[in-house]
Order: sequence, then C-alpha cells, then structure tokens
Amino acid sequence: MVAAIVGIALSSAVIAAGPAGAKLPKSGVETPPSATLIETGSTLLYPLWNLWAGGFGDKYSQVTIQTAGTGSGTGITDATNGTADIGASDAYLSPAVVSANPSLENIPLAISAQLVAYNVPGVVAHLKLTGKLLSQIYQGKVTKWNDASIAAINPGLTLPGIPIVTLHRSDSSGDTFLFTTFLSKADPTGWGATIAFNTTVPWPNAPGALGEAGNSGMVSGCKATPGCVAYVGVSYQTQVLQAGLGYAQLANAKGHYEVPSAATITAEAASFTKKTPASGTISLIFGPAAAGYPIVNYEYAIVNTKQSDASKAKAIRSALEWAVNKNDGNASSYLAQVNFQPLPASIVTASLKQILKIT
Amino acid sequence: MADAARANEEHAWRWSARVAVLLPLAALAFAVTVLAVKAWPAIEVNGWGFLTGSQWNYGSSYGATVYTHGVAHPMGSAYGAWDIIAGTLQSSVIAVIVALPISVGAAFALTERLPAWISRPLGFAIEILAGIPSVVIGLWGLLTFGPFLAKHVYPIVADHMPDVPVLRYFRNPVGSGEGLLTAGLVLGLMIVPIIASTTTDLFRQVPRLPKEGGEALGMTDWEVASKVTLPWVRAGIIGATVLGLGRALGETIAVALIGGSILHIAPNIFQPFTTIAATILSQLDGAQTDGTGFAVATLAELGLVLAVISVGVNLAARVIINRSSRLGGPVGRGA
Repeated sequence: MVAAIVGIALSSAVIAAGPAGAKLPKSGVETPPSATLIETGSTLLYPLWNLWAGGFGDKYSQVTIQTAGTGSGTGITDATNGTADIGASDAYLSPAVVSANPSLENIPLAISAQLVAYNVPGVVAHLKLTGKLLSQIYQGKVTKWNDASIAAINPGLTLPGIPIVTLHRSDSSGDTFLFTTFLSKADPTGWGATIAFNTTVPWPNAPGALGEAGNSGMVSGCKATPGCVAYVGVSYQTQVLQAGLGYAQLANAKGHYEVPSAATITAEAASFTKKTPASGTISLIFGPAAAGYPIVNYEYAIVNTKQSDASKAKAIRSALEWAVNKNDGNASSYLAQVNFQPLPASIVTASLKQILKIT
Repeated sequence: MADAARANEEHAWRWSARVAVLLPLAALAFAVTVLAVKAWPAIEVNGWGFLTGSQWNYGSSYGATVYTHGVAHPMGSAYGAWDIIAGTLQSSVIAVIVALPISVGAAFALTERLPAWISRPLGFAIEILAGIPSVVIGLWGLLTFGPFLAKHVYPIVADHMPDVPVLRYFRNPVGSGEGLLTAGLVLGLMIVPIIASTTTDLFRQVPRLPKEGGEALGMTDWEVASKVTLPWVRAGIIGATVLGLGRALGETIAVALIGGSILHIAPNIFQPFTTIAATILSQLDGAQTDGTGFAVATLAELGLVLAVISVGVNLAARVIINRSSRLGGPVGRGA
C-alpha cells in the first residue's frame, strides 16, 4: 500500500518534470560530464574543429574531442552507424539517408564557402570565371587557358596557352557536393541535366584530369601541376596563397563577379536565412543576392538524436551548444582563422532546438 | 594403458591436421559466400552489362529511389566495370613484363656469377624489399619516383615516338607522373622479390652434372642457361610469376596513391587510371552515403570479380605448369 503510493508519487513527479535533458542554462552551454567525443568528416570543417577542440577542452577539461579529416561522406556514414559521435559534413543529408535513419539531424554550425583555385603562371589578379565556363572546362570542352571564352571575360589579362588540368576529389566529398551544385545551378541544361550533384559524381573525361584526396590533396596537387584548376574550401585560403595559387572571382546569379570575402559570403547567406527550414536542410548556392559570392554553405554536424548513453548525449549537446554560441565557437576569434562567417541569430536558435533533441 | 594413450594421441593428431586443412578452406568459402550474398542485389540489377559497360554513375542520391527487380537504388544509377577491369589487367601485365627479366637475371647472377660474399648480402637485400610495406613504396612512388619519371624519362620516350598505330600509345601528353606506367613499374618493383627469391631457390636445385656437361661440350653460358637451367625450372618460374601476378592484381594502396584514381581506361600509357582494388578503396566511403545500399553492393560485386580473376589466373597457371611438366627439356626432366 505504502509502496504503491510512493510509486504513484514518484512517477507523477517524473511526468511533471517534462522531457529529459531538454533544458538550456542561462549561459547557453550545458556543463558536460566527463567524456571523449569522436568527430570525423569534412576536411573543409576539419581546421575549425581542431580549433574548437582546443578551445572547448580549455574551458571543460573533462571532455576530450578527437578530430579527423576524412571527407563529408565518411562523416555522414560514421555518424549514421555510430562510429563517430559527431559527423562533420558540408552536404546536407540526402532524402534516402533521412528516410533510412529518421533520428539523424544535420545541424548548421557555421557558414563557409568554397574557392576555385588555379595554377596559371603569370596571372596575378583574380581570374574571372563563370559557372557555365567551369562546367565546360570540367567536361573537357574548353581545354586551354587562352581559350576565347576565358579571354572574353578577362580582357587585359595575358593568358598562357597551356592545357587546363582539372582536379576533382577522389574521396566522397562535401566540396564535390558544393561545386557540382554550383555547376548544376549555373548550367542547368548541361551539367545539371546530365551529371547533377552529389558527394561523388561520374566526372566526365576531361584530358589529364586527376583525382585527389582531401582539401589538402587538392592544394598540393594543384601546386604540383601547372595549368590546374581545383575547388578548395575557404578554410584552406591561406594554404592556397602560400602555394602560389590564385583563386577566381565567380559570377553570381545576378551576373556580378565576386571574390569570397566576409561581406560577399554574409550577403549570400543572408538571402537564405528566412528560407532555411527547421531541419537546416537548404542549399545556399547561386542565390539572389546581388553582391553575394555564389558558393556558400552551412557547415553541418550530423548527429544521431537517439544516443545510447545519456551522459555522452549531454557531452555532445554541450560541445555543439558551445560551437554555435556567438561568444564561444561562433566568435570571430575562431571563425576568422578559417575565413568562416558566424550563423545569423535565427539560425542559432533553430540549431539549438535541434541540439536539444539529442538525448 | 600406454597403448591407449598413444592411440588417443594419434587420433588427436590426425584430427588436428584435418581441422588445420579445412580451416583456411572454410575461411575462403565463408569470405566468398558473404561477398556473393552482399553483392547479390547488385548482380541482379547490373546483369552482364557490368562486365562490359564503362560508366560508374551513383545516380542522384539526392533524387528519387527507384526499384528494379525489387531492388532499391537511386534513379539514374548505372555501373559498368570494364574500364576498371582493364586497368587491373594492364597494370599487372606491365608489372610482370618488368619484373620477370629482372628477377630471372638477378637469380642467375646470384647463383651462377657472383662470388658468395656478394651474393649472400645481395640476396638478403632483395628479400628485404619484399618486407617494405606497400604504403611506403606507394608514397615513394607518388612523391619521388613518379615526378622524376615524368620530368626526365617520359618526355624522352614520348617525344621520339612516331605516330603509328601501336606506338601511338606511348606519345604525349606525359602528365605529372601519376599514371599507368608509373604504377606498373612500381608494381613490378614490388613483385621482383617474390619471383627472384623463388627463382634463386629453384636455380640452386638444378643439378651440376647436366650444366657442366653442357659447358664441356662447348656451349656458352647463355646456351647452358637457356637450354639446360631454364627448361629444368620452367614450371617453378611460372608458379613464381603467378604468385607475383596475384600480388599485383590485388595491390591496393600503392595503386591508389600512384594511379591517379580516374575511373576510365587511360588514353595513353602515362595517364591516370584505376584498378579494382584501388577503386574499392577510394569509392567505399562515397558508396556508403548511398542510403539504398546499392552502391556498396556494387562494390562487393566488383570485389567478387577480382576474386574470380585471381582464381582464374591461378587455374590457368596450373594448366600451363601441368603442360610444361609433361614436355621434357632436351636434357633431363624439365619438370
């Protein structure tokens, strides 16, 4: 009798407390229990995760975050099958993966961009390129740097007659996803109709094309190959410049040529802020912003919201809350080192809602 | 009492031996069966066109899922492995063409020509070469050997090739060193120790009398080698070559680093290409993002093709060895 009353009292107390683990403290970041978190995936996001792991570990020494740069595809796969706690990806989850794993979320953490780097001796200024032209180049239809179509939009530049060597990612890559989305949107009847976008695509047979692994492979491969053109994440901008490579001004949807800078990236992202759904699944590429750089994306954390261990779930929530907080992970002291931009306030709110679902 | 214990011992020994023989066979059967089961959905949908087709298209995994013969796969996915199979065969053939003369020549030098104080450490060094991990050799090929060849050796060859049907394959462009010829040369280097050490042991087994008899009759060194020694050990050399070929067919990381990872047949011998093993390595992560599981099943099918090729090569070698055992050389058995 007494036991029954105690039992009823306890269970009603539990019901009154509400869903487990879904409260955010005033600081915006929950205090994590002791844990080791494994983060793997996008090489674009990898340099930032290294900085975040250091900063988060300084504040909460009881948590260690182990990072690896293995490609967005691996990030998604490892998060899906539980090998990694946090998967990093430049690409949002495909509908097939979402329907097979309904508890997976892609949570925006920061805003990044992608450069088109090239190794053209003698060209110092930022070469102007369009998405349609890059589509022709990667299909092998434009094969030399002094081709009429390139010279037409770059008057006043002397372009050498060397062959164009196209570099693409051989691993499953979010950068490939971003670049091919750009090519598909800029050339919908050509690239968009035949090859489309994905983390791996059947690259057309451009003469001399090479496959490289990782963003660092793209930079080193481009450095070693005169005449190369390669798509590289903006977090590698310093390495691109140190390797003596240039990066292009790209034409956005309104026809203006823009270089990737804080202003142009923020302008592009701002044009999509209101349209971003609660799931965070949206492409920010080739948007309507007149002064926007055309290849911009949310960097996602791919996390399984149904964790097997409640204390690990709290550690994951804490790490992600710290990452999106504008005074911590999203502060310019971290983001500026990798040329990323902070999330707008409404997206931070949406990301926090997703993070609080992780239990 | 002692007899019973000895009988038990004998019983246990015989059964242990039977289990020891069956375990590797069981492991092989298990591996191939699991691979076949995993690949079955892809085999059903891809059909025979898988062996003759030339595209490797994951389809739009960000698009719709369609069903063929009850198997789910992304719309637009189409797989044909001919270019990949061709790359595997091309690189292995180049490797054997490069390795065989070097190995046989080295074995000759070690057993017949060089004094013992050189041949022992040299033989040891060749065997050490077998112990160097493939990834280290691949890294060396990518960072040092490939660029060296592309800058200094290939241009000499490519610039002097006439524009005639077969030799056209060796003309420009030369590329950056990552390609079919570089991979073939590095693979050849990797299989030299296998063929050379086996051939050295074989040459040591050739009896002295026929060789000395040949020299006494006035045959030159080359004639003794080609008419006495080589026929004697022909079957063994074929066996050693097949062992080397097996390694070249399955070599993964070195080719993945040096080959250039391009899923098409190389248009000339200097250009990037891929092999089955290197493709499985470089594409596996991407295949796992296909939520329907079809891309992984296709890679399993590709692995099955490689297993079949390896077994086929081994069987063909056995047939050749049996044939050449029956034909005696001009002197002695020639088995």
